[in-house]
Amino acid sequence: MSSSGSVFCNGCGDFVYNSDALFAHSRAALAYQEKHTQFQVAKKGREPFKPWIPNSKDTEALEGAIAIPCQGRRGLLNLGQTCYLNVILQSFVANPLLRNYFLSDKHNTKLCSKTKDCGCCEMDKLFSEVYSGNEAPFGPISFLSTTWRASSDLAGYSQQDAHECFISTLNHVHATSRGSTKLSCICVVHSTFDGLLQSDVKCERCGNVTTTTDPMLDISLDLKSKGGEVGQEYTLASCLRRFTHPEKLSAYNCVKCSKTTPASKRLSIRKLPPVLSFQFKRFEHKTADHSTAHKIESSVRFPASINMAEYTTLVMNARNGKDEKGGSEQHPYPGPPALYDYDLFSVVCHDGHIDNGHYTCFTRHQDEWYYFDDDKVTHSTLGKCLRSQAYMCFYVKRNLDYKPYMTPSYIVAREAEAVKEKEREKEKEAALMREVEDALLATV
Amino acid sequence: MPDARDALYAQIQRRMVNSGDWDRISEALEAKLNESGWIDSLHDSSKETARAGESVSVGTLLESLGSQAASSVSPKVKEEIIQMIRQYLDTQLDK
Repeated sequence: MSSSGSVFCNGCGDFVYNSDALFAHSRAALAYQEKHTQFQVAKKGREPFKPWIPNSKDTEALEGAIAIPCQGRRGLLNLGQTCYLNVILQSFVANPLLRNYFLSDKHNTKLCSKTKDCGCCEMDKLFSEVYSGNEAPFGPISFLSTTWRASSDLAGYSQQDAHECFISTLNHVHATSRGSTKLSCICVVHSTFDGLLQSDVKCERCGNVTTTTDPMLDISLDLKSKGGEVGQEYTLASCLRRFTHPEKLSAYNCVKCSKTTPASKRLSIRKLPPVLSFQFKRFEHKTADHSTAHKIESSVRFPASINMAEYTTLVMNARNGKDEKGGSEQHPYPGPPALYDYDLFSVVCHDGHIDNGHYTCFTRHQDEWYYFDDDKVTHSTLGKCLRSQAYMCFYVKRNLDYKPYMTPSYIVAREAEAVKEKEREKEKEAALMREVEDALLATV
Repeated sequence: MPDARDALYAQIQRRMVNSGDWDRISEALEAKLNESGWIDSLHDSSKETARAGESVSVGTLLESLGSQAASSVSPKVKEEIIQMIRQYLDTQLDK
């Protein structure tokens, strides 16, 4: 069952640690997978992976550039019950897709036209601070004030809910992203977190299935059953099984039957995002006033890696032998299992009671885990992280997927911009020529 | 006597691999071990043991962790997988 591809030397009695060998193995494994994947787009095979090799222009541009490590860690000062914000910010810093976006200068706060309250600028500033080389903790003051102004619910110095802060911040960054749209948005937030949830409602009388899809930025999992019972021990898998288990609806208005019938509703994940975020619904608000809510302390075991295939629409339908409604775009082949593997990179924990608790978090860089308690950052272990009481878990897809044989939109935009620039130059020259001609004619 | 057993084992294993049952049960085992936390627990133990040790060799690590690994498999997982294997073998003995 070995899948690591590691090479063991009997002479040394140890594994061989050679980056070329590792690279060769992963290239070979990927090449094999590529050849054997049927693809959905125009019956083309999967586009083979091409590693980035700098051309002469790139090499020139990189000359004299200072290489810095692609990891940064800084504690965040608590500005007065703001641990709920700090843990969310640490989960953003540890997020490889967000890190790559902001470190590659895709939104530079110095070039942004918005003078204040730009969510993207706050993210850019956050990454700049963390990667500045200064290891002392800092206070995310402008991030906090921008968050308060963007969402009055979160304003004030009382303890807030980290999950609410998470969603609110994502919405604000999306709203202040250039080119963001209401539907099919490709801003950094949606490219990273956006998934699709499908709901299939089946009328028990006539068998007609009504399908609707809803976008989702994360998945919130119940810790209590419909009957209200709360178990003591859960696993992420058991929560997901419950989430995707068909639910009986007693009174459903079936359009085909034209009457109220019993029905069953089943949720499934139609589209998996590159970063999958889970929230365990530990906080129950009995009334609108937070103070009479209570917290579910049940332990939830979550894994370092999870395969999401069995919770997706494609795989669930295939297993049930059903065909998808309107299946012209649907291919019954679910793809290689590797495309459903996710790895945990951040965990937000809550300790204490609902109104006087404290948020801390664990985040991973490659294979090392770190624990963040506001400004105190310590090296930790996988074991400690998995034994903590999780409120939110963040997973990142191990193998990102791309539309095959397409020019990336930023290159298309860059080329269009270059063409426009040439046109502008031509116009300028022509206008200049006209001026010169007019001046000459005037002298005649 | 041991040879006959080995030969029978090899024959059954070949059949299981060809029919896809070997992969099916292997994958179920891996999923159950992951959900019960066994894989992560072993990963953490190995890593922290290696980190704490002065000079660690693969051999000594395997020795010290091997028995822990075998004994820490949850009885429920063991039972479920044994059931799956039994069910498969029942279909074979009819042939």
